Amino acid sequence: MIMAIVKKELLQLRRDPRLMALIIVMPLLLMVLFAVALKLEPNNVKMAYLDADRSFFSDMIKTGLWSDGYFQMYSVESRNAIIEEIRSGRAKAGLYIGNNFSAQLIENEQPHITLYVDGTMPSLTTAMKYNSSAATDKDVTNDMYFLDEDAPNTVIAENPFVMDTDVLFNPDEKETWFFLPGVIGVLIMQVALILTGITIVREREQHTLEQLFVTPISKFSFIIGKLLPYVVITLIDFYVILGVGWFVFDLPQPSSHLLLFALAFIYVAVMISLGLLISLVSQTQQQAMFVAIFIIVPSILLSGFIFPIEAIPAAVRVVSYLLPFTYFVEIIRGLLIKQTLLVDLLYAYGALLGFVVVFVSASVMKFKQHL
Amino acid sequence: MIHAKQLVKSFKGVRRVDEVSLTIEKGQIFGLLGPNAAGKTTVIRMLCGIMDTDSGEVEINGSSVEKAKHDFGYVAQHFGQYGELSVWENLKFYAEMYGVKDEAHLEALLERYQLGPYKNSAAGALSGGYKRRLALVCALAHDPQVLFLDEPTAGIDPVTRKLLWDDFYALSAEGKTLFVTTHYMEEAARCHQLAFIAEGKMIAEGTPKSIKSALGDVNVFTFKQSYSPKVTEVIQAVAGVQLTNQFGDDLHIVATKEVSKSLLEEKISMVQGIDVELRETEPDLEDVFIALTQGGHS
Repeated sequence: MIMAIVKKELLQLRRDPRLMALIIVMPLLLMVLFAVALKLEPNNVKMAYLDADRSFFSDMIKTGLWSDGYFQMYSVESRNAIIEEIRSGRAKAGLYIGNNFSAQLIENEQPHITLYVDGTMPSLTTAMKYNSSAATDKDVTNDMYFLDEDAPNTVIAENPFVMDTDVLFNPDEKETWFFLPGVIGVLIMQVALILTGITIVREREQHTLEQLFVTPISKFSFIIGKLLPYVVITLIDFYVILGVGWFVFDLPQPSSHLLLFALAFIYVAVMISLGLLISLVSQTQQQAMFVAIFIIVPSILLSGFIFPIEAIPAAVRVVSYLLPFTYFVEIIRGLLIKQTLLVDLLYAYGALLGFVVVFVSASVMKFKQHL
Repeated sequence: MIHAKQLVKSFKGVRRVDEVSLTIEKGQIFGLLGPNAAGKTTVIRMLCGIMDTDSGEVEINGSSVEKAKHDFGYVAQHFGQYGELSVWENLKFYAEMYGVKDEAHLEALLERYQLGPYKNSAAGALSGGYKRRLALVCALAHDPQVLFLDEPTAGIDPVTRKLLWDDFYALSAEGKTLFVTTHYMEEAARCHQLAFIAEGKMIAEGTPKSIKSALGDVNVFTFKQSYSPKVTEVIQAVAGVQLTNQFGDDLHIVATKEVSKSLLEEKISMVQGIDVELRETEPDLEDVFIALTQGGHS
């Protein structure tokens, strides 16, 4: 008798080819994607540098860092610009070598250089610090010891120069500062996708949609009316979760509350409209749930929320940039942790708005050919 | 008034509704009769504007469906109200969709359909008969002139069914036009106008009386006979017999005029071993229906 039930369940599953595809193809796809994409150790971490010394010796330090392949270096105009590059997200690390570096080196005065690292992602910070040791490697420093014939008693330091490390934005490298802003986005994504993902397909399954279509309401008004409550609920949810972050886990205040609200609103709009689209393309609530989950999982893993985006191979990074959550993570970390300027976040805001436009248009098109 | 011209609808390349045209006058109860999957629901959905037509035109009270939405109501085949909401909340919701605010009118509707005591019950918890009444009440909230009912009495007990039909007559007497799909013969007989649909095509239309003539020049005989495959087989073997149809203890035989009563009596007597006497009778709607849908009629 049990076997009869088992057989019936299998038969029912087989009659829903879309669900079968979701159950079998999606996990395979994600498995391969993650296997290729997920590395904790990135390559080509962007480093902005200013070498004011421009000497043979300062070149040796840069070459030491460069040749390792971990950092990809580019030059900026001022010491301040290094910090701004990191704040904007264009660079994750920075290097400053002062203009009297070689002069001090020759005088055995043990000059200091500064390594800047972005502290928002503590695991990456640790990795960057570790990899920066290439700058102080024996290969680099071997030729930096100077014996002064006139002053034979001069003490020669063990290290010819000192590299100071300056951890920016999250100086204490708090893991909660790194995770919590992203967690807010994940939770909102779950709430919004699952609430709205089933909303239309449920009306269809329960035959209420058919009854509604006879009434004079336009499809547009119907959609707005269906979504409005969820937009409000999800927005409230956003601030409740964020409030817990602020009051319980000591998250920093944003650089601008207005920009934060704009982010909350646009992000909620993205997720609600994506949920709507899922609801329209799905034939059953079950399918809708699966689609939602298969969007949430890669969002968590490929967005830079946990693993640095820099570590993802370029080909797969395309997927990262197709996920709205990637831009959310970028913006919320910028606003809460790095005090990033709006100019540097505009593209991410623009991307999120673009998603709203695409999802809403697709939904309208899909809804027109309905029933 | 409902007017449809040459409605066509295909699914996956198969024509499910094939050039169906209808005209239904004000105050009439019109029955669309057909076997399952004949295209009844597709027709009613196109008439209500739920489903687009591939081609053809629909007019309700002289306007397009989109413009006539305040003029008609629709009761779908499946329960389409919100189970979590109460009877009253469902009714209020549909009333608001049409901008109806007159609560006294809504209360009166509940009373008329004996839903008063269930006003605050969850709609999902109602029995089948009361669910159907609620659906009807929701469709009547805006007092439409035209009412579409897709198999309104399917799966409903005979008492409720009679009650609903009494009400349909009352609505019709109030001047409302009713469009009903059904596959119950006794219901079809209650309609003012009837149309038969099979495989998407209209095969007959008219009053229940006139439709019986669609069988053409035939005789219908009946006699007391409990079901016997042997008897049926013998009769069907007679050239000119179009149809046999068992009604409880009565067997109907539809045959062309050339088939004589005595020939049939003789054949049956041979099988049964006793003398049998056939009575000539009027064709039943079901005889017509089965004959037409089986293509037995030439």
